[in-house]
Amino acid sequence: MVISDETRSKIDAEIGNFPQRRGALLPALHLVHKDHGYVSTDVAKELAEIFEINPIDVMEVVSFYNLFYDRPQPRHHAHVCTNLPCSLRGARSLLRRLESHFGVRAGEATPDGKLVLGHEECLGACAYAPMMRVDDTYFEDLDFEKAKTILDGLE
Amino acid sequence: MPRITVDGEIIEVPDGRTILQALDDVGLLMNGVDIPHYCWHPKLSIDGSCRLCQVEVEGIPKLQIACNTSVQEGMAIRTDTERVRKAREGVMELLLVNHPLDCPICDQAGECKLQDYAYEYGVEASRTREPRRALKKNVDLGSTIKFDQERCILCRRCVRFCSEIPGTGELRVFNRGDASVIDVHPDFPLENDYSMNVADICPVGALTTQDFRFKIRVWFLEDAPGICTGCSNGCNVHIGVANNKVYRYVPRRNDDVNDTWICDSGRMSYKQIGGGARLKEAGVRGEAGRLENTGYEAAVREAAKRLRSMIEEHGADSVVVLASAHATNEDLFTLRRLSDGLGAGADGVAVVQGKSDALLIKADKAANAAGARALGFGPAGPVLDRIRDGRAKAAIVLGHDLLDESHLGGTEALEGLDLLIVLDVQQSALHKVADVVIPVRHAAEKYGTLTNHAGRVQRVEPAVEPAWEAWSDGEVLTLMGQALGLEGFEDGYDPAKISEWMSERVSAFAGVHLRVVGDQGRPLPGERA
Ligand code: SF4
Ligand code: SF4
Ligand code: FES
Ligand code: FES
Repeated sequence: MVISDETRSKIDAEIGNFPQRRGALLPALHLVHKDHGYVSTDVAKELAEIFEINPIDVMEVVSFYNLFYDRPQPRHHAHVCTNLPCSLRGARSLLRRLESHFGVRAGEATPDGKLVLGHEECLGACAYAPMMRVDDTYFEDLDFEKAKTILDGLE
Repeated sequence: MPRITVDGEIIEVPDGRTILQALDDVGLLMNGVDIPHYCWHPKLSIDGSCRLCQVEVEGIPKLQIACNTSVQEGMAIRTDTERVRKAREGVMELLLVNHPLDCPICDQAGECKLQDYAYEYGVEASRTREPRRALKKNVDLGSTIKFDQERCILCRRCVRFCSEIPGTGELRVFNRGDASVIDVHPDFPLENDYSMNVADICPVGALTTQDFRFKIRVWFLEDAPGICTGCSNGCNVHIGVANNKVYRYVPRRNDDVNDTWICDSGRMSYKQIGGGARLKEAGVRGEAGRLENTGYEAAVREAAKRLRSMIEEHGADSVVVLASAHATNEDLFTLRRLSDGLGAGADGVAVVQGKSDALLIKADKAANAAGARALGFGPAGPVLDRIRDGRAKAAIVLGHDLLDESHLGGTEALEGLDLLIVLDVQQSALHKVADVVIPVRHAAEKYGTLTNHAGRVQRVEPAVEPAWEAWSDGEVLTLMGQALGLEGFEDGYDPAKISEWMSERVSAFAGVHLRVVGDQGRPLPGERA
């Protein structure tokens, strides 16, 4: 078993909250993500058994949501919003400069496995454009220097 | 039954159906009323994602999708207005934004709905300069299907097929929005008994079968209607032929038999028609103990001559007859008359048994097992017992199915015979012990009817001609009947006439024969559907 007993009992508790068993798949994915950082094929198989669905049903959901991953991830995710308001406030050149600073293209991870740089659609913080999301935290009113300091300072 | 108006014509349609379903039910869809569609398929659930099927519905300001708008009494639909045309053009332009346009190297070309509708509704030049999506090309989804992700228009027919028909659900949509792609999980490839149907329903060249792709351009193929001979379900197929060679089977729709599907092994069974395992030469075992090719008709006459002397020596009940469940009803009716006319000691039929499922695949691995039984051919066991205990000295055997059923004892069971006459489509170990072997025609090479497991009588007709001399079983048996001086063989073998005669003589077939079954078959009188 890849899923711990503790997580398993939390999943069982979630199942009780939904009219249909498989409704609890999303909370379950959050739970296994907290433990493993991604959903491996083995985890998908176990979840499939728990929810009485196919492993591929699990993987389909994982692929649908940006914040679920199907493979091991770098330590951090830094995503610059490039939707219209952020773009009007320089998000695209910000992203381009970050790309050359880290020597990777958007969507790629740095070779040391520290972070993956990416872009994202509107995160609802347009009033403070341009902005980026680093893991679960928003950073707003950015310019290149600010963003660089934040990302360089990550563990 | 609600009455609706389509482009000014009033038609009556079944209740509780959507516009496309209702038109399909009454046989008008794409056959009088053309409403282009990609995602909708008559045998799959409704998706409503491609938006190509939009039509004008009187009283509703916006265009409606015909696949998911229910019919109502008095509804008036227009499928041919400028607005509808503009909408179709818009959908086509959107679908083509990311399409690679590799028709020259795409095997779907010629039977591609994207090509067809782009020709009808497409714009001539692309208005986008952005790069097209670069995705996977030429990938194996499993052992039967090749996938080109770039050509996919995301209609999701294949996804719905896998989850709704075989229920295996291998194909899925991954990611979201404009990043959506169809794929399998690498640990769970597309492997099921019906996998190749996805290539038929994919409207574009995204899914193609490993077997057929790049064998021939489809516009060189002629379609002949046929019946799969893989099992007793009798799935209806289109036989794709060019230069007298069969290139493929694709399903032919028959809602009473196979809907729009066939199983993979049935689909591949076309290979038996031209395959290297065909029996091509008649042979008579001579003094030296070897089979000699004395010519076709001479072999048939020799068979009759040796049979006659056996009867003179040991009596007619020393002869036994084994039918083949691959032969047509007409062949088998001729065999029945021969067996009865001779007064043979016993007759029966060997039917190979295999796996079955709840969808199409049946355990009887021959197309006409039910026909053989309806014509009175019982199990093969008693016939072989008669050979084993020495009462039978001569046997007429059609096909070699007894070899595939180990409980029947293989060629050893036949060792005690003095005369073994074999009529077969294919070569087999039987020919090592046979005294006369006569090649006969495959069901795709002759006229006749086959009775499927549910008692539905379906027509076959020649799609190809064998390149060597081969008659149908019925013709060979008729000549033997004549040579033996039996009654009822004087008029030769005309399948249509024999069929009609059978429907008069055999009560199980009352009123059902070759000329009346049509291209969708007809149930025997004792059967309900
Ligand atoms: S692969 Fe073919 S059938 Fe499947 S979604 Fe794409 S276009 Fe439709
Ligand atoms: S189910 Fe039987 S008849 Fe139908 S395609 Fe398969 S083998 Fe042929
Ligand atoms: S556009 Fe960037 S947060 Fe809304
Ligand atoms: S056929 Fe109606 S939306 Fe696709």
